Amino acid sequence: MKKQMLVIPALIAVILAISACGGTPAAQPTQPPAQPTQPAAPAEGKLAQIRAAGKLIVGTSADYPPYESIDANGNFVGFDMDLIRAIGEKLGVEVEIRDMPFDSLIASLQEGKIDAVIAAMQATAERDEKVDFTIPYRMTKDAFIGAGNTTIIMTKPEDAAGLTIGVQTGTVQEGWIQKNLVAKGLTPADKVFSYERADQAALDLASGRLQLVLMDAEPALELAKQNGLKVLLVTETTAEGGKSIAIPEGASDLKAELDRIIQGLIDDGTVKALEEKHGLP
Amino acid sequence: MELLQNLLTTFNFIVQGLWVTISVTAVALTVGLAIGLVMAVARVYGHPALQMAVSAYSVVVRAVPVIVIIFILFFVISRYVNLSPFWAGALALGFASGAYQTEIFRGALQAVQPGQMIAARAIGMSRLQAIQSIVLPQALRLALPAWGNEATLVLKDSTLVFAVGVPEILRRAQQVSARTFEPFLAFGVALLLYLALTLITTQALQWLERRYRLQV
Repeated sequence: MKKQMLVIPALIAVILAISACGGTPAAQPTQPPAQPTQPAAPAEGKLAQIRAAGKLIVGTSADYPPYESIDANGNFVGFDMDLIRAIGEKLGVEVEIRDMPFDSLIASLQEGKIDAVIAAMQATAERDEKVDFTIPYRMTKDAFIGAGNTTIIMTKPEDAAGLTIGVQTGTVQEGWIQKNLVAKGLTPADKVFSYERADQAALDLASGRLQLVLMDAEPALELAKQNGLKVLLVTETTAEGGKSIAIPEGASDLKAELDRIIQGLIDDGTVKALEEKHGLP
Repeated sequence: MELLQNLLTTFNFIVQGLWVTISVTAVALTVGLAIGLVMAVARVYGHPALQMAVSAYSVVVRAVPVIVIIFILFFVISRYVNLSPFWAGALALGFASGAYQTEIFRGALQAVQPGQMIAARAIGMSRLQAIQSIVLPQALRLALPAWGNEATLVLKDSTLVFAVGVPEILRRAQQVSARTFEPFLAFGVALLLYLALTLITTQALQWLERRYRLQV
């Protein structure tokens, strides 16, 4: 499975490279022409096409609960699914969700098979070259965890100063610790321990070798539950970036509208309510 | 009891992909059969230029992984022809299987003794008539065991169509395992379904072999 996951993006890249030589822009034969009932919208814009079709076709990879999965009755459920339906409602169109492997999502979007992707996807620089992204609808969060009987109390990330702390090698969290605690002389360099995997750090936390571990919040909550650890602080400060909806490159009208709707849903508390509903930190 | 309940729910969910798997396999085998028969006859009895062309198709298609053919059909060709994921996947599988079936039928045609063709021509049959009524009926019988093997391979290759978003048995198993965190149960059910399908296919083909066995 793992091997296949590496092969598929490579294949897609090759095929797209071959097809790019054809020089024909990706046609969207599934989209009927914009109807005259919406004279205000430009006829060739992606947003206008979606409005005319009355349907937003969204790709996801339904194997990542609680963001997206399929329930026993075959319905798409999860935080992303509820969010995109709320967005569809604001757009005034029906939302059709299509499941495909995570690796096929960007290619499908580029080829116009789908209008958007919502799959807990981060807008990395590599992806950003191929497609456009909306503003993040949910910031990535980190968590500081301590042993079950710890007496440490944290209200901000800087409270970790001077304590023995474990992080995963090469992660954003490690970078934050080095830059904000070690480089500023708040924590001696020999009190920071880097692990290959975050769960190894959690084991050392349980055995008392570490006082704190800083890691991604979602797996942290799971680890804490399994190993009887204590979540001390969940924060956005140490994390970088967030999860965005991917849309076709250059669909500026669609981006503007989605950005506006997402900001609206964040401001009116809908996103917060959905996070709570799906148990997201 | 809880395990049984889980098994039942998992089974009920995954089994909905059964029909998709069967349809994809059936379409692919039928398309491959049509391509294979025509190509094999052209390869054995056709004009030398035609023989070259068929060899080229067979070599190139067998050299390319099926998943690549699926991607080409879905992402490149369907820019011009609007293919649904199902049809892109099933046709690509059929196109690939056609190359293997060409070789199966070529071998079978060549295994029919040349004397049969000569005798048929001697009693006044045209070449086409001789192929149709003398050589092909014998060749098809000879091809059956190898064709049965190809059928089970296509059945398993049908898992590849998920790459373009067709929810067949294996993807449904992945979806359940992601939700329930019980991969063993989910993939076990998928295994049983594939096993059942393969058994049914091989039994049906064995029956065909017996039914049409040549009485020499």
